[in-house]
Amino acid sequence: MQDSRTVLVAMSGGVDSSVAAALLVEQGHRVIGVTMKTFCYSEVEGPSQTCCGLEGIMDARSVADRLEIPHYVFDVERDFTRDVIDDFVDEYAAGRTPNPCVRCNGNTKFRDLLKRGAMLGCDAIATGHYARVDSDPTGNPRLRRGIDPDKDQAYFLWSLPPEILSRLLLPLGALTKPEVRERARDLGLVTADKPESQEICFVPTGNYVDVLEERLGTDHPALTPGPLVTAAGEKIGEHDGYARYTVGQRRGFGGGHQRRLYVIGARPETREVVVGKIEEVYRNDLELGELNWLGPSPTTGADVSVQIRHRAPAAAAHVENLAGGRISLRFDEPQRAVAPGQSAVIFDDDVMLGGGRIERTG
Amino acid sequence: MEPIYFDYAATTPVRPEVREAMLPLLEGTFGNPSSLHRWGREAKMKLEDARARIAAIVGARPTEIVFTRGGTEADNLAILGRTRKERGRTVVCSSIEHRAVLNAARAAEEEGNPLHLLPVDSQGRVALEGLAEVLSAQPAVVSVMWANNEVGTIQPIPELAQQCAAANVPFHSDAVQAIGKLDVRVDHVPVTLLSMSAHKIGGPKGVGALFVRKGTALRPLIHGGGHERGLRAGTEDVAGAVGFATAAELAVKERAHQCERITRLRDRLQHALEARVPDLVVNAAGAERLPTILNVSIPGANSEMLLVMLDLEGIAASSGSACSSGGVNPSHVLTTMGIPADVAGPSVRFSLGRETTEKQIDEAIAILPPLMERLRSTSGV
Repeated sequence: MQDSRTVLVAMSGGVDSSVAAALLVEQGHRVIGVTMKTFCYSEVEGPSQTCCGLEGIMDARSVADRLEIPHYVFDVERDFTRDVIDDFVDEYAAGRTPNPCVRCNGNTKFRDLLKRGAMLGCDAIATGHYARVDSDPTGNPRLRRGIDPDKDQAYFLWSLPPEILSRLLLPLGALTKPEVRERARDLGLVTADKPESQEICFVPTGNYVDVLEERLGTDHPALTPGPLVTAAGEKIGEHDGYARYTVGQRRGFGGGHQRRLYVIGARPETREVVVGKIEEVYRNDLELGELNWLGPSPTTGADVSVQIRHRAPAAAAHVENLAGGRISLRFDEPQRAVAPGQSAVIFDDDVMLGGGRIERTG
Repeated sequence: MEPIYFDYAATTPVRPEVREAMLPLLEGTFGNPSSLHRWGREAKMKLEDARARIAAIVGARPTEIVFTRGGTEADNLAILGRTRKERGRTVVCSSIEHRAVLNAARAAEEEGNPLHLLPVDSQGRVALEGLAEVLSAQPAVVSVMWANNEVGTIQPIPELAQQCAAANVPFHSDAVQAIGKLDVRVDHVPVTLLSMSAHKIGGPKGVGALFVRKGTALRPLIHGGGHERGLRAGTEDVAGAVGFATAAELAVKERAHQCERITRLRDRLQHALEARVPDLVVNAAGAERLPTILNVSIPGANSEMLLVMLDLEGIAASSGSACSSGGVNPSHVLTTMGIPADVAGPSVRFSLGRETTEKQIDEAIAILPPLMERLRSTSGV
């Protein structure tokens, strides 16, 4: 058994973080559970004017009680709104496809946990992500994929401040989802059979356009009609707002087009949505900004594998150029639907090197 | 170290004497006080005895005491019971009332009784200036708490009650925090309505009472059988009433001694914190305060973390209005006193009680200053 540490564990009320907390308790750590209140659902969920009844908070508390660990709620709503929701809306308005979970992990969640952990005298922080932290042969901490290929969530963690790794515990990285559910049932946790959580915590309706309409107004250029054009510039119809489309989507565009059309991009300055045939959705090159390295940064010419969305297999690529806080990558095989705004994460086998935001594709 | 409970203003343990007094009513004398048979008569006798004892404590007549299911219900009955009698007339309360009064008054506002909030000064004292004008509009009720639950400020209740009486306006006071700590007497002070609660003074939870001065027109909120002179339907909690009466008698009997003792402990804690925590602010320090309450702010510190750190150290205190899920909302009391949370930093209320010991104060004096310094040094990074 490892040394006993004081660990601050983020508990969302879902099965994964519940089991993560339980495993840490089992391993003999002194565990403190926290639920971060990122968003208040009160307006959606009925008469209550407070967040006291939020199901996730209640479930997390019930699990903490069961594990006999203290549990607290941290209100991070103000930071979360500024750093995550506002960015999400701005990105869509700029014609890109944001990745709010990455943004939250890098800007809000882990930084806040680390800071509060320090206040409470904690040695480590923990979450229920399916990824692993271990040491490379020279003893430096590194982030690796979770062993369950269906659940691996390393992709969402590229934006973490690198100094966090030495104090980060990810107890689920060596387990599969079915194993986690089984552990939850064995422990009698109320969350054992909870369905997978929705993808974006602040989109309670499940449709991100609702959030955009609420925050931007339905008359915002990103949400109102504009020309539907081909890559060659031919106008072939109208769309109902470029922020409603995502690169790679196949959509029935009004006007009875017989051809199968795919979204290949948006041009906010002219409100155009560019569509084309399936072949046109593939890209060979991409350029990333906002780089963050958790491992050694690769050198020009290096062979790496690159993951461009959650659950997508990593694709072989090599580094064309790395300079000025940007990196250009070229895939060995063209990749489908490389969406500006999304994260591209660079691995060496299953070890994460780092990642960035996709700024340009070609 | 044994955990230290510094949250007696939130609730108190039931005293052994209270428990002893209640047990026979839970086990043997179980009758419904409304029944005419001997079981009922026996229960009714116990209930009326409890009523008379509570009346005696505040100088009321037994028929002026209405048992409720707690202080919150007593406040609601006082406010809404009046405004529903006087539709359209103003409801007046101080801006630092407990939410039981504030939110009842807001509910009355939604029902068509305009709400007027009386401002307070930086020490949490309700201003008497301008009251005459407010009273000239003949409000349905004026409500000012006897002593504030968060910072402990004692209000000028005799003056307020007299002005209201002179203007023929019903005056309500929430005395939940004051009973057993201050001399609360309705025969000396012309209040019309007075809320009380058992669990703040060593009695059981879920029991309270409203003093309703003879001749006060009030509409009931709970309808049913004609219990409690038609003002509060529902079979009475006889054991609770007896527990309440026992607790109240003990609290009043021990008041002088306990207040002297607790004031000394509180002042010792306050002076130690003031001496060892730079910039620490004692809220309402310039006011006459309840002896049991010490409310401090720590400028430049993270507002949520203080209670968490205290809890992990085994010290129970409170801050603002705790949310049932564990979140903390900023205190409306401090905000209205002109002390916004983001400027003054987090506030924490230590409330002492009968069971507080010298040793606990020694331990708190050893633990708190370094903890508050750690909070400040790791905040705002």
